[in-house]
Amino acid sequence: MELETEADGKLEAEVQTETIMALEREVKTQTEGESVERDPESDTRTGEVKRERETEPVLVCVSGSTPLLWRSADLRLVRERMGIVGTLVGSLARQPRQNCRLGRPLQLLLEEARLLKDTGRAVLVKGAESECDDDRVNVEVEESYTKHLQHSYEEQGRLALEEKKRVLQRVMTERFRDEALTDQPIRERLSSLKSSFSFPRSAMMVQLCTARARLGYAPDERDWLAADWTLPRDNKQEVRYRVYQDLRQQGYYITSAGKFGGDYLIYPGDPLRFHAHFIAVCVPIKSESPISDFLCLARLGANVKKTILLCSPSETESEGVIYTSIQWSGMV
Amino acid sequence: MERVGGSGDSAEESGDVAETRAGASGTEGDIPRNWILQHHKYRELMALDVGDTAQVYAAFLVYLDLLEKRRWLEVTSRGSAELQLVYLEGRESESQPRQLIVPLPGQRSLSHQGVRSLLSQPGPDGAPSPSLLLAAVAPDSTLAYYRFSRGFVVPEPPDSIQALECGRERRKRRRL
Repeated sequence: MELETEADGKLEAEVQTETIMALEREVKTQTEGESVERDPESDTRTGEVKRERETEPVLVCVSGSTPLLWRSADLRLVRERMGIVGTLVGSLARQPRQNCRLGRPLQLLLEEARLLKDTGRAVLVKGAESECDDDRVNVEVEESYTKHLQHSYEEQGRLALEEKKRVLQRVMTERFRDEALTDQPIRERLSSLKSSFSFPRSAMMVQLCTARARLGYAPDERDWLAADWTLPRDNKQEVRYRVYQDLRQQGYYITSAGKFGGDYLIYPGDPLRFHAHFIAVCVPIKSESPISDFLCLARLGANVKKTILLCSPSETESEGVIYTSIQWSGMV
Repeated sequence: MERVGGSGDSAEESGDVAETRAGASGTEGDIPRNWILQHHKYRELMALDVGDTAQVYAAFLVYLDLLEKRRWLEVTSRGSAELQLVYLEGRESESQPRQLIVPLPGQRSLSHQGVRSLLSQPGPDGAPSPSLLLAAVAPDSTLAYYRFSRGFVVPEPPDSIQALECGRERRKRRRL
């Protein structure tokens, strides 16, 4: 009897998981296509706004030589429409002292930023850090913030005092109703409240803004600020970019593979749903390396259960990129 | 990885080398010191007149390893004039198809283009095979085999997923 009920429970759980997976698949196919037109219940105005936002280029702030995306709508757009994953490198406002879960900004690979720029989906702008170079601006901002904090503190103190008065009065009236106890001590407290009440600074509530109003620019301002791609392009970067472009075109999701000693990690779908299948190593097609290097790569791939993919852009334009898989044969 | 020693056992298929007894009284055995140079297969590979001595020697070591240690079947050798090397063909067992094995000295350098030209060699069935086994021979005769294939070869799923599937199977079996 027990076994049967257990079996039913487990069956149910499996059925449930399957339903959830089916739903997820549905959702995935919906968001992957042009989803705006297919949603009949949405307001036409919000539909228009959505379409506008999707065609509007995304703002990529280049800080030093690192391309960053700040707005959450942009992160989502870029991931859903273009399959660009990136890495979150910021801290979360409500969970600052840990680095297990990071927040915005999203750091892009150089290849990802370049692809966005080349397809016209993004505009590269010098990052907000350049605004902080001016110390004068900083001081003004700081002063206004402290003034605002002080004002908020006084306001909160006043409200706390009112609240305390109200509480004491309520207690007094209740006591008067229920028992014939003397309410003398409470009266005394009430009268001395104003003088004895203190609102400690540590009890003050401070609002931490998690959305920043000024993360975008007006279109003409943005175009004026748009920077040329200033980073030097060498052969190695060209090879990497061509491989990245080709893989992205084939629909694979790509992240950095620094941990594995390769160039990219290749996923068959979104990295949240799949393990990586390949470690891509980008080499020019004619450059020679000792056979022991292939041994290193093959062994590494065997240890982490991923196939090493040697990628080289071919010299003839028609062939695209040439891929060769290396696997350790396991013959011992 | 496999070490091939200087004097060892012979097997039926590698020919006419006499057996040696380690405990033989006094005599060194009938095997001369340079037995490799006198081995008929080695001479055959040299006679193909492709590749340098190092590559032919590597090919010979791989040949011995496949036949003697791993007991592969139908191991044959071929020379390639355009690539200037000797390579082997064989099958692991009755059920496996014939495949291409390319022996190379470990110190050699190889480019991606070189790998592709190896892959474009006609395989056992005449057409270029989709994958080949590269046998790298280290200076101390250690052998390492890797498989090069065209295109994308999806790896096996990681242990956690395999364990999950095994667990599911086990649970199903227990239920029945």
